[in-house]
Amino acid sequence: MIEAQVVTDPFTDAAHRLKTLTKVMTTRAAIAQTPKELVWTLNKAKLYRYIPVLSKEKRHPVPLLMVFALMNRPYILDLRPGHSFVEYMLNKGYDLYLLDWGAPGPEDKNLKFDDYTLDYMPRAIRKLKTISGSEEFSLLGWCIGAILTTIYASLRGEEGLRNLILLTAPLDFSNKQNLTFARWTDERYFDVEKVLAAFGNMPGEMIDYGAKALKPVENYVSNYLKLWDNLDDPRIVESWHAMNTWVTDNVSLAGGAFRQLIVDLYRKDKLMRGELVIRGERVDLSRIHANLLTVIAEGDHITPGCQSEPIMSKVSSADKELFRMSGGHIGIMAGSGASKHTWPHISGWLDPRSE
Amino acid sequence: MINAATENKPIDPMEPWREMRDVYLDAWSKTMVDMVNREDYAQASGAMLDTYLTVSIPFREVVEKAMLKTLEQLAMPSRADVISIADRMTNIEMRLDDMDAKLDKALAMAVPQRAPAPREPSRAPHQKKALKTKAAKRRKT
Repeated sequence: MIEAQVVTDPFTDAAHRLKTLTKVMTTRAAIAQTPKELVWTLNKAKLYRYIPVLSKEKRHPVPLLMVFALMNRPYILDLRPGHSFVEYMLNKGYDLYLLDWGAPGPEDKNLKFDDYTLDYMPRAIRKLKTISGSEEFSLLGWCIGAILTTIYASLRGEEGLRNLILLTAPLDFSNKQNLTFARWTDERYFDVEKVLAAFGNMPGEMIDYGAKALKPVENYVSNYLKLWDNLDDPRIVESWHAMNTWVTDNVSLAGGAFRQLIVDLYRKDKLMRGELVIRGERVDLSRIHANLLTVIAEGDHITPGCQSEPIMSKVSSADKELFRMSGGHIGIMAGSGASKHTWPHISGWLDPRSE
Repeated sequence: MINAATENKPIDPMEPWREMRDVYLDAWSKTMVDMVNREDYAQASGAMLDTYLTVSIPFREVVEKAMLKTLEQLAMPSRADVISIADRMTNIEMRLDDMDAKLDKALAMAVPQRAPAPREPSRAPHQKKALKTKAAKRRKT
């Protein structure tokens, strides 16, 4: 056998690296590839049903609905083939649905949590029940999506919600010392009304800047050095490319919802105090009876654990579990360790409760 | 213990530089995280945003007014008109969704109540054959 001689000319190598760098910095990765069908729409919101991979007999009878944040694209849950939570859960036999909030336009500047939790979610869930034929369902909320699912679980939980999974849920805002966002948006320094009067919705770029400024060196320097150091490793480049595609795809946050997030939650901590009123109804966390799994990322600088943990003592759920994972806000579900730790734990918790 | 893979790995002259760089980045990162968590950073960034908004809002208003007049003169809908149509579209979508819900409910109620289709009493194959021949004879006559 003749072995091919590999010539490592430094100029060819540099040209190759530059080509790879240009490609990942200027193109979008092929993400969200799992087949799905659009089953419901309202305004910008869309409900997708992923095409099941197992036969009905082998599937869990209780469907799972995933709700992600309002200001990021939900395809982080289906990042890329071979590394997708959606793909993983389909293989575990779930009838899987995704609520995509879409990008709000100027006409949506008055949308509030009230609209999302009492108009959009109940309607999407009604459709899910019709399609799946199941009166019960599970809800998975991540980040701001966890705020919405918690509010929904409190106000409409009796309408078939069996299991509630909260991932890095920012619910308690009492510990101001640990919350950088709370400091930045303090009423002494940040005028919400002025920002919303200027923009209508909170621009995605500003939210993205805020998130990145929490760890500026990691996000603006180390992240790119990591790519540069690993340009020869296609596995790392592919992963970086997919993540960069998601990170740079920003969505504005509807003005009304942003006002509630800052004033009612970050400043007044109304949800945990039991003072949050949604369309005339008080959000009482003790009205949550669904089985509850709360996942905390120990390295989360956006939603520290102190924001998610207190809900455990507020709910009336007889079956509840708090799970701590090493990793960051997004890393626990989309990082390299997610498929080995977080996803199996979620599936292991949900499987027996979905029969 | 040094394994074979480590022994065969070519020496990278840049490795010490990279290690040094990472140490420096770690230290820089900690300093920056401390800085953005300080009260005066919050105050400074708030002041910068406020200044930007204070300066930009009058310009924005002038542009908006000019645009509105231009659109009026061209007999074209303004942004407010388009927003109003979008609002109405969403309301129509909600009404459609309500109707869809009612239809689903009606269908679900109708299916179990639907009278079962009259079924032929089950017969043995030889009886079915006999019936078929009788029917054929009747048709001939």
